[in-house]
Amino acid sequence: MSEYVLELKGITKIFPGVKALNNVQFQLKPGEVHALMGENGAGKSTFIKVITGVHKAEEGEMYLLGKKVDFRGPRDAQQAGIAAVYQHPTSYPDLTVTENIFMNHEIKKNGMIQWKQMNKEAQEYLDQLDADFKPTVEMGSLSVAQQQMVEIAKAISTHAKIIILDEPTAALTASESEKLYRIVEKLRDEGVSIIFISHRFEDMYRLAERVTVFRDSQYIGTYDVNGITNAELIKHMVGREIKDLFPKPEVRLGEELLRIEDFSRTGYFKNISLKVRAGEIIGLTGLVGAGRTEVMESLCGITRPDEGRIFLEGKEIFIKGPGDAMDNGIVLLPEDRQKTGLILSWGLGRNVTLPIISKLTRKGFIDEKAENELSKKFLEDVDTKAVTIFDAASSLSGGNQQKVVVAKALVQDNMKVIIMDEPTKGVDVGAKAEIYQIMGELAQKGFAIIMISSEMPEILGMCDRIYVMCSGRITGELSRDEATQERILEYAMEKEKREEAAER
Amino acid sequence: MAGKSGRTISAVPQKSFMKTILSWEGILLVLFIGINIFCKCISPVYNFTNVLREMPKYLTEIFLLFPMAYILLMGEIDISVGSTVCLSATVACLVSNAGLPFGIVLLAGLATGTVCGMINGFLAVKFRELPTMIITLGTQIVFRGIAEIALGDGGSVSLVNADGFRMIAGKVGPFPYLFFVVIICAVIFTVIAEKRVYGRSLYAIGSNSRTAFYSGIKVNKVLFTAYAVLGFLAGVSALFLISATYGANTTTGKGFEMDAIAMAVFGGISTAGGKGKLTGAVIAAFTIVCLRVGLGQINMNAQVILIILGLLLICSVLLPNISSALHKTRKKA
Repeated sequence: MSEYVLELKGITKIFPGVKALNNVQFQLKPGEVHALMGENGAGKSTFIKVITGVHKAEEGEMYLLGKKVDFRGPRDAQQAGIAAVYQHPTSYPDLTVTENIFMNHEIKKNGMIQWKQMNKEAQEYLDQLDADFKPTVEMGSLSVAQQQMVEIAKAISTHAKIIILDEPTAALTASESEKLYRIVEKLRDEGVSIIFISHRFEDMYRLAERVTVFRDSQYIGTYDVNGITNAELIKHMVGREIKDLFPKPEVRLGEELLRIEDFSRTGYFKNISLKVRAGEIIGLTGLVGAGRTEVMESLCGITRPDEGRIFLEGKEIFIKGPGDAMDNGIVLLPEDRQKTGLILSWGLGRNVTLPIISKLTRKGFIDEKAENELSKKFLEDVDTKAVTIFDAASSLSGGNQQKVVVAKALVQDNMKVIIMDEPTKGVDVGAKAEIYQIMGELAQKGFAIIMISSEMPEILGMCDRIYVMCSGRITGELSRDEATQERILEYAMEKEKREEAAER
Repeated sequence: MAGKSGRTISAVPQKSFMKTILSWEGILLVLFIGINIFCKCISPVYNFTNVLREMPKYLTEIFLLFPMAYILLMGEIDISVGSTVCLSATVACLVSNAGLPFGIVLLAGLATGTVCGMINGFLAVKFRELPTMIITLGTQIVFRGIAEIALGDGGSVSLVNADGFRMIAGKVGPFPYLFFVVIICAVIFTVIAEKRVYGRSLYAIGSNSRTAFYSGIKVNKVLFTAYAVLGFLAGVSALFLISATYGANTTTGKGFEMDAIAMAVFGGISTAGGKGKLTGAVIAAFTIVCLRVGLGQINMNAQVILIILGLLLICSVLLPNISSALHKTRKKA
């Protein structure tokens, strides 16, 4: 018997033109939680796909319980007891939880599906995970956290001995993450080995015993979590030291640039007033669903507020559509890069120039040469990791996609106010630092920045002033000096507290 | 700016002869030449003049191809154009028979088509969550219904005075006027799709309409315009159709929408939106016309011709997969 349940040696995976993995190794001990970390594009996802049989490595060997294995497809991996739960649950939203759990390994008797038994077993799996929903509900009606539980239940139902969790906490709130931690611990205690991919250090400290770091498609090392500091780990991941994650420059604040008054939209938010000065970075925070994104989308003309006035440089402006907002120099970087930020099938260059394409014309015809030059310049300015401006946006990692979205904003030369909705969501630590750097530089240049974020460190680290929202209202405003994690949370939970008090 | 690593990104487009040939448009061009050689072999009377003489029958449909391609590029569809053609033709004939001047007759035909298109556009914009397939299925029935009421019990109307229409059926040498109008339209529509902001907007909307909207593109305006233009060209098509048939009846323009969609799809335009080129659609249209003329000349049964065209369409949908597979093997090598 080997010391490891899973061991990979010298794995090299080549995609046309790129070495996605270069001589990578990995060892997983029985019953351990092993964190896999690295920047976006470091090769973690490809590595996972090699383990689960989706990709076949060109070189290298894989041993399962000491025996050499060679997976021809995902089915082989599944049968060998390896299951993966991906970042975005890849489920069938219109089918029930039971159907999702037993997809591809239904319980059959004489060719008939045994619904009763399947529902019963599904309930057992859900009970194991302390799930608070029934196996007969539709998958689509569940929250992301609950869907993830179903995915985990599915992994258990295949009697997986190795479970891979790919950024499971990215879309979860703090309490949901806590629940997930407990599930992972429980699985570990039952002897399941777990590979855990995450950008959050707290996940790693909370769960993992060991951490393996990849960088630029290469294996950097495996470390004991207790024996390594945060700074060392970041250095391994990024390949250089990040001295200051939040390079907030001292900026002399200018005149008030933008002010909104009494913004209301029934069912979303009420009586929102806020203002931002030139050179100022303000944070708009609160729990997910507090109405932050909705306020900013109304400001930018994506939706129409029922009431409210907007003043730009003291003059009232009227915004009827996204084009009006841009004409006035108000630029939104939407939260969902893939659905509303970029056209994934398009090249990077065309994505960048899309908002200003009508200005890149000569006699009504698009000047493609000028367009290409311009997008090249802005993509290089934000240091996008790409070969040509014609690379499809879908081929980039999350962090680089976010840089393209930033370039798409910067290219608008009349920009005055820039609104960033969760600018570092799903972005690795190296790219995060670069995005903060860009934010700082923009503030220095006199732009007004509004950042929507749920991440406390970046709100505290980057913002001059912080508005906290709860249930569609602004419940607190804090200056940089006043702000602490506790006070923000206090405001963010304002309503619930009041309700609790009322109940008493 | 931040974190500048000095990394450079290439902005030079790579073009190669093989890439052009292996593109769908390249394959179509080869097919177009092949079909012409084939027709020449099977029919002794297949020559330039004869093809041009028989072309007008089919050219009236090619009009609709261009704006239809725009709508398909946005991932939408319009299956009501056949009915629009019918209604426009009916109105134009009735106005002409009422003795009004020819200028008014033309205007009436064009206006009817445009209004029909605008109705489609309005509904498509107003009820963005409804599939345009369903919206235009509704208007298809409504427009033809109105036309049938206007046509009365006989179900047809013939021109009393066809002088004006005879004029637009004229020729320059062997070329009918219609041919020039179609060519001019082809050039204009292709250039707009490739080189102008409107064209870029079409592709953006078809690829990801949410991102297009967030990026400040006036999605509704672009959509509405395309439907209105399709209606207008349906009016133009109706006028040329009258000039060939001297009247209108309840079956006028029947199936035009499907022919236009088929030509566009054959030309490589994806009904899912965002993919395909107008040049491909234009070559595809002329390929189909030439094949129809050639097969018609050897007196092939009309139904058999339809079957051949149907098979051709299915092959064309399959072929891009094969061509992209070719691309991949080339890349690997």
